[in-house]
Amino acid sequence: MAILEVKDLKKAFGSRQAVNGASFSVREGEIFGLLGPNGAGKSTTLSLVCGLLKANAGKILIDGWDIAKDGVKAKNLIGIVPQEPALYPMLSAKANLRFWGTINGLNSDELEKAVNDVLKVVGLEDRAEGKISKFSGGMKRRLNIAAGLIHNPRLLIMDEPTVGIDPQSRNHILETVKNLRNRDITVIYTSHYVEEVEYLCDRVAIMDNGQIISEGTLSELLEQGSEYQELTIKLNSFSENIQSSIQTLPGVEKTFSLDEKLKIITSNAEKILPMAFETIVGNGGIVSEIKIHKPNLESLFLKLTGKALRN
Amino acid sequence: MKKTLAIVMVGIRQMLADPVYIMFLIGLPILMTWVMSFLPVEGGMYEMATLGVLVMFVALNIITSAGGYILEEKQNGTWNRILTSSTSYWNIMAGYFIKIFFMAFMQATILLLSSKYLFGAPWNQGYFEMIIVLIVYIFAMTGLGLFLAGFLKSQGQIQAVAMAVVMIGTMLGGVFFPIENPSTVIRVIASISPQSWAANALKEILTVGVSLSSLLTPLIWMGAMGMLLLIGGVVKLQMEG
Ligand SMILES: Nc1ncnc2c1ncn2[C@@H]1O[C@H](COP(=O)(O)OP(=O)(O)OP(=O)(O)O)[C@@H](O)[C@H]1O
Ligand SMILES: [Mg+2]
Repeated sequence: MAILEVKDLKKAFGSRQAVNGASFSVREGEIFGLLGPNGAGKSTTLSLVCGLLKANAGKILIDGWDIAKDGVKAKNLIGIVPQEPALYPMLSAKANLRFWGTINGLNSDELEKAVNDVLKVVGLEDRAEGKISKFSGGMKRRLNIAAGLIHNPRLLIMDEPTVGIDPQSRNHILETVKNLRNRDITVIYTSHYVEEVEYLCDRVAIMDNGQIISEGTLSELLEQGSEYQELTIKLNSFSENIQSSIQTLPGVEKTFSLDEKLKIITSNAEKILPMAFETIVGNGGIVSEIKIHKPNLESLFLKLTGKALRN
Repeated sequence: MKKTLAIVMVGIRQMLADPVYIMFLIGLPILMTWVMSFLPVEGGMYEMATLGVLVMFVALNIITSAGGYILEEKQNGTWNRILTSSTSYWNIMAGYFIKIFFMAFMQATILLLSSKYLFGAPWNQGYFEMIIVLIVYIFAMTGLGLFLAGFLKSQGQIQAVAMAVVMIGTMLGGVFFPIENPSTVIRVIASISPQSWAANALKEILTVGVSLSSLLTPLIWMGAMGMLLLIGGVVKLQMEG
């Protein structure tokens, strides 16, 4: 049973088509990844799903409730974790959580229990009385997650919760999300980090230019990209010549240049590698590093769009 | 109702956390009221000035704090988080409304009390009528403030609009000085400006001592204006996105 059904969603800002006919569905209980490069339309899609923006076309059903018609009922099922912490800085962690709990319809009996419960989930029990303005960036992010969880939503929507934080806080957040599996909650996890999505998610939708270009379980998607491997060669002196010669080698699907690196999508890295090496040396290039990646979502994305996820 | 109250309480705690703002809210108008108390009491000039200060500062406070408060929430991200909660737009708006109304009413009360008890204003009638007029006036201005807040995107815009509303409504509305032979424009402004209606009603209550029934026109006008603007604010919220 799908807890979220998105059909032919469209949203334009002026002439810019931020979401352009996106369709996907999220099943009850899974961690669903929405992966896409900057500007793909992920945040816009999520804003549409939680009723902050109105779609130009398409349908959004949350557990069967149409967000456009039964907004309050649909919103009741959702918790959000915005990209930037959305909290009252001069209030304590507890006061914030009490506020967000009340706003989301918890009564005073449920409130205390829920507050302590979510503080435990994000590991901030000992900072319950502390003012948010004194919290570190990572702690604010964690409390931001707690605020999204406070009313025990069926669907938690997380928009790039790990962008711009230190590795330790990042790991803490990833573990927290992973542990949400024990709470019977469905999670939509947006990111442009392939590793995070691969680590956390059961199913993934890949978004580009406002459209979902692929959707499936992690293994299905990896399977789709599995005929290909990604060969990364770091060069000291990159030239267009090298790239275009390598592009013509038999078995090379696509090539991309990224910084000083040449990325080659190929079905047979072992065979290509010596030929590529030869081409580079023959063109006066100097190789400083070579990597062969097993197929991952990054290589699938490259294959589908001809672009890198991050640049 | 509980949700509305939660918004009110957070708003008040937020305000109390900012002592400079409270100074602006109370300290400055009290100072002005004190200066006005040196005016001659005869001929209603003193009332005009003191009540003008009150009406003006209440307007200034409401427009700037409605705008500033909502802008701050937008910058904090809490505005969006409230909108995605299961709280209806009416309940959300009511929360902001009550908070701002309460704050402005406290301010007006403090100013009136300090006029009488600190600076010796010779008033001793019409308290009940005054409270009613103030309530309705603050209701209208709060509606206006929240309606405008929906359109304001920066602190600078808030300042500009607050200035415009206060200057046009108060000065041209003839709150501080009677305008002789007013032009049509000025007459129109005076006939819509809630500041003008409120200041005149308050002055009459304090000097002549009129009853509520003769203040029906200003009360109905201000009440209707507040109501329409409040509805407008909620409709704007529903249409957004
Ligand atoms: N409020 C807005 N007004 C105008 N354009 C917007 C607005 N919000 C988003 N856009 C545009 O819509 C497109 C999609 O933006 P969106 O924020 O949804 O992307 P994203 O996938 O979340 O990217 P990121 O990974 O950078 O967060 C972008 O081109 C962006 O510039
Ligand atoms: Mg985004």
